Amino acid sequence: MSVSGTINLIWLEGQDCAGCTISTKQASNPTLIDVLVGTIPALGEIRLVFHPTLMPDWGEDAAKVLVDAADGKYDPFVLVLEGAIPDESKAVGGVFCVVGEVGERILKLEDVVRDLSKRCAAAVALGSCASFGGIPHGSPNPTGARGLLDFLGKDWKSGLGLPVVCVPGCPPRPDNIIQALGSLVLVARGVTPVPELDEWHRPKFLYGYTAHELCPICGFYAEGKDAHAFGELGCLGGIGCKGIITNCNASTSWTDGYGGCTRTGVPCFGCADPNFPDPPTSPFFAKAPAMAFVKETFAGNWGHFKMGLARLKRRKI
Amino acid sequence: MAVRELTIEPITRIEGHLGAHVKIDTDARKITDAYVYSPMFRGFEIILVGREPSEAIMITQRSCGVCPVPHAYSSAMAVDQTYKVSPPPMAVALRVLVHGAEQLYDAEVGVVNLEGCDYSETLVKKFNPDWWEEAEKANAERVDIHGYEKISDIMRALNPFTGELYVQSLLIQKAGHNMAAIFGAKHPHVHSFVPGGISKANLSPSDFEAYLTLLMRHIAFSKKLVAATDDLLDFVLKQGYEDVGTREANLFSVGAYDAPEQYSAEYSDIGKFGKARLVSPGVILNGELVTTDLVEINVGVREFIGRGWYENDWEQEFSTDPLGNKIEREHPWNKRTKPKPGKYGDWTGAYSWVTASRWFKGGKSHVVELGPLARMWVTAKAGLVPESTGNSLRFELPASPIPGFFAEKLELEWKIPEKPNAVERIRARAYYLAYTAYCMLKMVGSALELLKAGKTEVWTEYERPKEGMGFGAVEAMRGACMHWCVMKNGKIHNYQYHAPSTWNLSCRDPEGQPGPVEDALLQTPVTEAGDVDGWKGIDVVRTVRSFDPCLGCAVHVHVGNKVVRHKLLPYPSNF
Repeated sequence: MSVSGTINLIWLEGQDCAGCTISTKQASNPTLIDVLVGTIPALGEIRLVFHPTLMPDWGEDAAKVLVDAADGKYDPFVLVLEGAIPDESKAVGGVFCVVGEVGERILKLEDVVRDLSKRCAAAVALGSCASFGGIPHGSPNPTGARGLLDFLGKDWKSGLGLPVVCVPGCPPRPDNIIQALGSLVLVARGVTPVPELDEWHRPKFLYGYTAHELCPICGFYAEGKDAHAFGELGCLGGIGCKGIITNCNASTSWTDGYGGCTRTGVPCFGCADPNFPDPPTSPFFAKAPAMAFVKETFAGNWGHFKMGLARLKRRKI
Repeated sequence: MAVRELTIEPITRIEGHLGAHVKIDTDARKITDAYVYSPMFRGFEIILVGREPSEAIMITQRSCGVCPVPHAYSSAMAVDQTYKVSPPPMAVALRVLVHGAEQLYDAEVGVVNLEGCDYSETLVKKFNPDWWEEAEKANAERVDIHGYEKISDIMRALNPFTGELYVQSLLIQKAGHNMAAIFGAKHPHVHSFVPGGISKANLSPSDFEAYLTLLMRHIAFSKKLVAATDDLLDFVLKQGYEDVGTREANLFSVGAYDAPEQYSAEYSDIGKFGKARLVSPGVILNGELVTTDLVEINVGVREFIGRGWYENDWEQEFSTDPLGNKIEREHPWNKRTKPKPGKYGDWTGAYSWVTASRWFKGGKSHVVELGPLARMWVTAKAGLVPESTGNSLRFELPASPIPGFFAEKLELEWKIPEKPNAVERIRARAYYLAYTAYCMLKMVGSALELLKAGKTEVWTEYERPKEGMGFGAVEAMRGACMHWCVMKNGKIHNYQYHAPSTWNLSCRDPEGQPGPVEDALLQTPVTEAGDVDGWKGIDVVRTVRSFDPCLGCAVHVHVGNKVVRHKLLPYPSNF
C-alpha cells in the first residue's frame, strides 16, 4: 500500500479532557512542529483538518468539515479519536456528547464516528478513554461510555485494511502518541511494515512490555527492597504499584528524560490498563493481584538460578 | 430592529465542548441575548461515589488535561482534611512547585496560542482590516524588551504556526510540563499527589537545579510576552475595544501558592493559611473587597441546578460546616449530581450540562467572575502580600541572561483596570505568568531552606479513618478549582467539585441571572467587518476566549508552502 499526496487527520474529541492533545505537543522524537512543517521527509504532507482544540475556524465552518469528510471530500484521512463514546440511547430526551452543528443538524459523536469509520484510511484510539472507555467507563458508567475498539468491534477494518489501533495511557506518553500516529502514516506511505498489535490492539513496539519490566528501579525488587512509605526509595509494589500488570513504558521517563512514574517514586496506577479506573487497577493504593507476584517469583527464582549457573561458565568472548 | 441569531458550536480553541447561541441587534450592532452551553457529560461525581477518597485525587484530574494539577491540589487538600493528615512542609512546597509549573505553561498557551491568534495578522486582516492599517503605522513602545518595532510586527508574530511568538510559546511551554514532571512524574495528570504529602523519592538538590534552569527560561520569555501583550492590547483598546466583553467588577478568588510552613489539614486553619498564600483569596462585589477569608468564601458557595440538565431533588444533609457556620441546601457538601438529559437548543428551558454556581452574601446570590483578572485584582487590593499596593501588584523579575531574550532585571506593575473586559482578561493572564514565575522562584528558595534545615520528609503516615469531610480550593489558570468530600465508612459518600470554568460558563440561575460569560456577551458591540449574514462572530469568540474556557493548544496546520519564520530558541532541539 502506498498513499502519495496529502494525508488528512480528523481528530475528534468525545468524552475527553484534551489531555492526549496536551501530551502530543510535548513530544520530542519527533516534535509536533517537526511533523507539521515536514522535517521528516518520509511522512509527506499531513494536514490536520479538524481538531476542536487546535483549529483556527469555529462554528459551522469547523463542523462542516465532518459532514464533508463523510462525503469523501477529505479522502484519504486518518480518524483519531480522543475520549470515550457515550451511548446516546441512554440520554433519554437529550444528549451526552455533541461535537458540532450544521444548520439544523446536530452532530452527535456516535453518528459522526459511525459515518467516518466507513471511509477512514485508518482509525486510532488515543488514550485510555478512546481505547477502552477509561474514566467515563468507570463503574457505574453513568453514560454507557465505551472505547472505539468496543464501538467498532475487534473485526472492523479500515480503508487500508487495518483494525482499530489503540494507544492507551492517561494520557499516553507524548512520544508514544506521535510515534504511533507516525508509524501509521509511514505504513500508508509504504515505508514501514504494518506494526504488530497485541490482543488489545496496542502496537507491540510501544506496549510490548509491562511498566514493571521496564522499571528503572526494578533492581530494588530484585534485591527484595520494598518501599514502605511514599517518598521512600524501593520497590513500590507494597504501596499500590500496578506496573506488574500494566503494559506501559511511562515508568522509564515522561518526556525529555524528566519524570516517569516509578522513576520519580510514584507507584504505577495502571492508567494504561484496559480496566482503568476499576479493579484490579483500583483502589489505587491497593496491592496488585498477588498471582502476578507469585508467578513472577517462581519464574524469577528459576531464572536467577539459571543465570547463576551461566555465570559459572567459562567466558568465550 | 433587525435580529440575527447566531449559533456557534463548536467554539474551537478552547478545551472541551462549548457552544454559544447569541442574538445580535444588527442595527445597533450589539449582542442582545446570549446562552453558552456545554453539550458533553461524563458523570465524574457519580463515578466517585463508593470509592476511597484518595482515588479522587487521581480521578478528578482527568476532568481536564489542560489544568489537571489544580484538581490534584484541591482534591489532595480536601482529602488531607477528610483523613486529617497534614503533609510536611517540603511536601507542600513540592505540590506548589508542580502547580506553579503548570500555570506557566497554561498562561503561555492561553495568551499566545489560543487568545493571541484572534489578534494575529491573519485574523485582524480578515475581520478588522482598518486595525491593520493603523497597526502598520503604530510604533511599539516597549520595543527594547520584546524587539518588535511596530504593532503590526507583534500581530505578525502571533500568526498561527508561522509567527515567532507563536512558535516560541509552543516550544517554551514544554518546559512547564517538564518542571511538573520532575516532582509529579508526568503531566498532564500528575501521579505524585497523595493524602498527607507527595510521592517523590530520592529528592535531591539536582531536582531543584533542573527546575530552576527551566524556570529561568519562563522568566525570560515572560518579560517579552508581558511587554508585547501590553503594547498590543493598548493598541486594541485604542481601536474602541473597551466595551467588548465588559461587566461589573464582581470577582472571586480562592488564592494559590501556599506557604509551606502554614498549610494544615485542619478546616479551621484554612482562613489563616489562605491569607498567607502568595496569590490572595477574596471576593470583590461591585468593586469592593468584601472578604479574604476562605471559610467565609466556602460557606457562601451555592450551586444551583438552574437551567442545567439535572434533577433538583436532593435532601439537605448538613445545615452547618464543621465550624458551625450555616450552609445552604445548594452548598456542595449537600448538593447531589443526578443527570436529566433534556432537549438540545431549548433556550426557554434547560440548555446546558453546566450548572449555575453563585456566591451568597447579604441575602443575595452574586454572579462572580473567576480567572487571572479576578485573582490579580483581589491580590492587588487585599494587601496581604508585600507586592500588593492596594491598587496594583508590583514585583521584580531577576536578570535572565538567556541568549535572544531581554537579560536585565525588570520591575513589573500590574494596575487594577477600570473594568473587566476581554482585553484586560488577556493582559491579566500575561502578568499572571510573570507573577507566577516570580512566586515559583520564591518557592524554590523556601524548598532549599527546608532542604538545608534537613526537613526533607515528603509524606506523613496515616491510618485511613472511617468518617470525615473536607474542602479544598486553589486557583487554576482560568478560575478557582474547588473540591468538597464527604466520607462515610471509609468510602466517598458524596464528592462534588467545581472545575475552573464551572462558574464562568454557568447557565441561568433560578432568578434568571445569566452566568459571567453570558453576562459579558450581553451588550457587547460587534466590530466585525463585512455583510451581516456573513458574520462569523469574531467578537463573540474573542469574548468567550478571553475567559480562556479550559483550553488546550492552538496549532494551525495548514502550513502549505509558507516559510516558518522564527529564530530558533537557544535550547536543545528537544525542548
